[in-house]
Amino acid sequence: MKLKTKLTLFNTISKLVIVTLFVALLPVLIKNINRNYTDNRLRKQRDKVLQTVKALGIQYYIQNGESYAGYTPIKDSYVSLDEDTLAENLDTIQNEERKVETDTIDYRILSHNFFVDKKKYLLEIGISLDSVNETTGPLQNIAFEILVGMIILTIAADQLYSTYVLNPLSLIIKTKLKGNKFPNFGSYREVKTSTSDFQQLDLSIHQMIQTIESTFQKEREFISNASHELMTPISILQSKIENMFEQEDIADELKVRLLEMQRILNRLKSITKTLLLISQIENDQFLKEDKITISELLQEVYDEISIRLQDKNISYELQVNNDWTLVNVNKFLLFNLLFNLVNNAIKYNREDGKITIETLKENNNFVVKIIDTGLGISETDLPYIFNRFKKLKQSLQQDSFGLGLPIVKSIADFHHIKIEVESEVNVGSTIKLIFGQELIG
Amino acid sequence: MNVLIIEDEKALARELEIFLTNYNYVCQVCYDGTSASEHVAVNLYDFILIDLGLPDYEGLDLLKEAKRNNPDAAYIILTARAEIYDRIKGLDMGADDYLAKPFSLLELQSRMQAITRRKFGLKNNVVELGDFLVNLTERIITHNNEPVTAITKKEFDLVAYLILHKNRTVTRNQLSEHIWGSIINDDYDSNYIDAHIKNIRKKLNAHAPADWLETVRGLGYKVKINT
Repeated sequence: MKLKTKLTLFNTISKLVIVTLFVALLPVLIKNINRNYTDNRLRKQRDKVLQTVKALGIQYYIQNGESYAGYTPIKDSYVSLDEDTLAENLDTIQNEERKVETDTIDYRILSHNFFVDKKKYLLEIGISLDSVNETTGPLQNIAFEILVGMIILTIAADQLYSTYVLNPLSLIIKTKLKGNKFPNFGSYREVKTSTSDFQQLDLSIHQMIQTIESTFQKEREFISNASHELMTPISILQSKIENMFEQEDIADELKVRLLEMQRILNRLKSITKTLLLISQIENDQFLKEDKITISELLQEVYDEISIRLQDKNISYELQVNNDWTLVNVNKFLLFNLLFNLVNNAIKYNREDGKITIETLKENNNFVVKIIDTGLGISETDLPYIFNRFKKLKQSLQQDSFGLGLPIVKSIADFHHIKIEVESEVNVGSTIKLIFGQELIG
Repeated sequence: MNVLIIEDEKALARELEIFLTNYNYVCQVCYDGTSASEHVAVNLYDFILIDLGLPDYEGLDLLKEAKRNNPDAAYIILTARAEIYDRIKGLDMGADDYLAKPFSLLELQSRMQAITRRKFGLKNNVVELGDFLVNLTERIITHNNEPVTAITKKEFDLVAYLILHKNRTVTRNQLSEHIWGSIINDDYDSNYIDAHIKNIRKKLNAHAPADWLETVRGLGYKVKINT
């Protein structure tokens, strides 16, 4: 998950939790506040009544022993004052039902006993619970709406800011890490940011890339220069041997030895040429402007290689299930890629073995499969088969210097062709070449 | 025929000279561009072999200059810098052929022969071998006026190469370099030439004995032509 997504998620979730908690607690809170407020109102009214009684005497409310009672037209509050005969002394506030005229209403009622002229009176002041609670609903709603609004606002603000502040990071990831195709890094462009961590990161990545690039470049230059420089001495030696070989006064015994020298020189030449080819491919010195159908290409490979099948009596089958035109390719290189793969399929095959080459369309991909009945590659060797000069145990008896598959790999990479290898020891190998859409005409 | 060899590697230049002199060419060697420039200005050559990597001269400039004074000469570029761009540029500028170092001297000679045939328009270059006629221009082998159709392109290439170097032993290495030289693979010791020769013999023997195609034990093959 991306950092930005994580931050946003955390922000949203944490805010939602807090708000939900608050909204859940809101009724209790409001109820409490309302009760305190109501109780205060009731006490104030009690004090007022007691004050009046003190100043104007109980007669102000009760005349001729008739009790006093008064309420507002909608009966949301009432006051009653009467003589009391009960023994206990009340001074409470609680919820009780009262029947007023025909209605039964829940009231919050303050009951208070007091004495005037040794007579006990009971004062009751009630406020209907409905009127007390009538603000709770709206209050709760308003609080909820305001909170939700605030949350949306803060989330949006968080989102905007985190996008802004994290933008350099995504830029670094996009351009410096994902966009950089090894080994072609392109030039350095600074990512503008005021966040020092990101500046540091950008710079460090840049420095690492530079180091890799220069090491890589040096290696490529070295291989290219070394193989070029070796060409001339090899050329001189080859010419000298050929000229000596042609000389008539040289004994046959010496000629055989000259021939051996020629063979060894040839080996040196092959290695050097192969390394040079790989370095030229890696240095992008080949054009990709050719157009050829896969069947033609495979036919050309067969024409060159068929003679090699004879030795071990290997049968060769070409199944063109689908034919397609390759465009923007280098024919010379593709030829060499296929030649080397088929050559390996022959070299590591058994007597009377078989090679099947299939072209097919698989999940919209254009695929060439080269299937042999050869020695196979063990699982432990499989990761290393494309390494230069890596010779696998099974291949030791063969005349090879371990550059066949590295050539294949370089050419495939150059054309963005994917290679998949499946193999079973002593059963055979299947090499699958998957051609990208951009190569199909 | 007159050949100018422009090659700054003295040892290589010397070998080229020895080899070509053996094949009856008259050779002149220049080790640098300046002296080559003087030579092309005053002499006429049939062949000019140019190494593009000269220390004192831009190879392609020299080629241009030489072409002005020796427009009829055949030009073969020799270079260790095998970049394809050089190759395209060289052929564009009128070089007749191109050989990347290291090359076989036999290959050089066969290219020179091919150019000669092309330049002088030799038609019906037919060689008589036993009961067979080998037409190098039309690239067919006939027996009693009947073409031996079984012979493949590769097989004909081998026979033609041996005919070109007739009466000399051509090693397996030289033959395989000629027919597979441009293929890059990691075999260094192929005996596939033997398989090819075996096939050629089988196909020819079906018509008539082809004892002119000799195996030189332990060394290679030879086409014997009595001249």
